[in-house]
Amino acid sequence: MPIINVKSRGVHVQELNKGAAETVLLVHGMFSNLSIYYFNIAPILAKHFHVVMYDLKSHGMSEKIADGYDLNSMTDDLSELLERLELSSVHLAGYSFGGLISLKMAARFPDKIKKLAIIEAPDPNDDKTRDIIDEYSREFLEYYVQNFADTTKSKMGKRQMEKNHRMYEYLFHETSIKSDMIRERDFFSAAEIGEISQETLLLYGADSNCLEAGKKLKKKIKRVEMLEVDGDHNVPIQQPASIGNLMESFFKN
Amino acid sequence: MDTIISTAKLNSSEIFDLMKQFITEVIGEEFVEEMDITMESSFTKDLEMDSIEIVSFSEKIKNHFGEQIDFTGWLSNMDLDELINLNLGTIVNYIEECQ
Repeated sequence: MPIINVKSRGVHVQELNKGAAETVLLVHGMFSNLSIYYFNIAPILAKHFHVVMYDLKSHGMSEKIADGYDLNSMTDDLSELLERLELSSVHLAGYSFGGLISLKMAARFPDKIKKLAIIEAPDPNDDKTRDIIDEYSREFLEYYVQNFADTTKSKMGKRQMEKNHRMYEYLFHETSIKSDMIRERDFFSAAEIGEISQETLLLYGADSNCLEAGKKLKKKIKRVEMLEVDGDHNVPIQQPASIGNLMESFFKN
Repeated sequence: MDTIISTAKLNSSEIFDLMKQFITEVIGEEFVEEMDITMESSFTKDLEMDSIEIVSFSEKIKNHFGEQIDFTGWLSNMDLDELINLNLGTIVNYIEECQ
């Protein structure tokens, strides 16, 4: 596995089409990993671009870390990753929590980010995500898998259930992820969102409970286009070809 | 990175053994011992591999065979149902044809 040291911690990175002139960097969401892009969306983008994917701290195959889940720390990590990879500026795309990291990155490091694609970024002021942390238990995970797995078509077996349970337990009870998220609750109201100058594409599922968050961002970001795609919050899994093609055309033109 | 590009052509039984070795390295010996891995074993249902483990498995194929086998490209042409139902025999056949 390609592991790069960022802030003295191991970060799992995957790259496609390394020789291309321009780079697209993809940021996954919370409780997920880079595989959400690896098999479908990244190969579409790699027809024209150098594509970089990485696992966020304590996710996928990156090293576990107890703190630093606020958007400043997450974008410090990303900025250092770009330096390690010797990338001076990139197109950036992020899904869900990765969308929030991408927005913050564009605001804090405008010279490093060319165009910005945001997929299903939620409003951090929405209590639903934090409620999940409060109510989490193994029974909740089993209920969730039983009732919602059909939207991603994946069925979890015993080993996967245990593996996911360990990840949730670690993130919820042994890291600062919850308190760090609470600190970000006013992010959508912050002036820095209105100051994002990059050309931005917002992609949301037409049936997503985050659609309102997308509409809020559309009102605040200056150079923005918003597109709705059939699906819900899991739209990159439900419609990978649509998401990949829309991003390819946005970054190319 | 332990990139070992092999140029020797393998038969289907050798490829199957190599795939079993990769699966063991990815999911761990303690889980593999409990499983009866056959050509019919499906990646998601029988082996319970999740997508990041399949990324790791793909990486091992890439490191072993190099550019002669575009395993990720082959997988990326499959839809979700095909990926979920993918079994070891299909992968062994694909690698055997590509060599």
